[in-house]
Amino acid sequence: MQKIPLMLAKAGMVLARDVFRGDSPTGMPVCGKDTQLTDALITRLDQMDVQSVYVEGHPVWEEGQRSFDELLGELDLRFEKCRENPLNAMLYDIYKAHLTKSMGGEGGRQTD
Amino acid sequence: MEDKRIELKKIIMDTRTLPTLPGVINKLNALSENDKASVQEMAKIVASDQVLSARILRLANSPSYGFYRVSTISNAMILLGVNVVKSLALSSSIFAIMEKNSIGLWEHSLGVGVAANLLARKLGLPECEEIATAALLHDIGKVIISLKCVEAEQEILRLVRERQIYIREAEREVIDTDHAEIGGWLSKSWYLPEKLSEPIACHHDVASSQNHRIKTSVVHVADVLVKASGFGNSGDRYVPEIQQVAWNTLKLDQGIMADLVDTLEDKLVEVRNFSLEMMAE
Repeated sequence: MQKIPLMLAKAGMVLARDVFRGDSPTGMPVCGKDTQLTDALITRLDQMDVQSVYVEGHPVWEEGQRSFDELLGELDLRFEKCRENPLNAMLYDIYKAHLTKSMGGEGGRQTD
Repeated sequence: MEDKRIELKKIIMDTRTLPTLPGVINKLNALSENDKASVQEMAKIVASDQVLSARILRLANSPSYGFYRVSTISNAMILLGVNVVKSLALSSSIFAIMEKNSIGLWEHSLGVGVAANLLARKLGLPECEEIATAALLHDIGKVIISLKCVEAEQEILRLVRERQIYIREAEREVIDTDHAEIGGWLSKSWYLPEKLSEPIACHHDVASSQNHRIKTSVVHVADVLVKASGFGNSGDRYVPEIQQVAWNTLKLDQGIMADLVDTLEDKLVEVRNFSLEMMAE
């Protein structure tokens, strides 16, 4: 699952979470998850002020974006000095799980 | 050594060159403590500063808040709440001071502000906005060091790079004080209330916090979280230890933290946009 700006959404991508109107993020969803995007749908969402959507997998690679292994390496480095502390070790595990999930792994949250 | 520190405090606190908060903020602070003050009166004060009004309206209309078309300051105050407008006013003034120095530090501060707000709300703490404001300001001492002690700052950065130590350890070694303490001095000279100045001064040593330990703990944990997430650039490469006393004070557990990391990472995407928005001005 990946959060992308609507600008980068393309027909064929599949929504991973319900989409809400830009001006009422807590109101009724305007488009359900698992919907396959079409050009017409993307235009409609744009008119509704939707800024970003969650899509399945990890379809958009921006230039300079780091891979999972690189991100994990950086996480390891950041925690290098404090892994001995049990609280920090717990936080490390939480972040590692989060990273795995957000880079397209299974088991992500499906709805908000 | 003690002399050096007092000398330094003098240099740092030389009011002629210290960044100041716009008078509007002080008036707003004074007025919001007065129970009889009306929203209209406060809106009038904000409206007297056109740059500030423009910023607040811009932020109030930004998608991060999810409201539609706010066109007057008093509407913004009613919709967002007086406290939010106050912290928007404060944060946009702080941004003006920080921007010139370091965008990375600004992003780190903004991230910690958001993390503290999320944590405080999750725990159902009172005065979430104040906690978020303290979190936003927690590293203000770093700005002062880079403004006032240019040579010392270079030396600090060199030590951090060469010996791979925390920035705070390097500060202690070079200037015999640290950014938290300096932030505490500065917030006193700005007459910020103790509920803001204590978390700023004690965010690296929660145990030394006497009267506002809960707020201090939130700021401390939020700082660790944002450093762990690698968002922004605080100057520290390594995540600091979570202090047990903060953990116990807030009665945290693994479940709370896992939820918090999920929401925080989501929010940080928006924070990046918000930060870009501020820079676009």
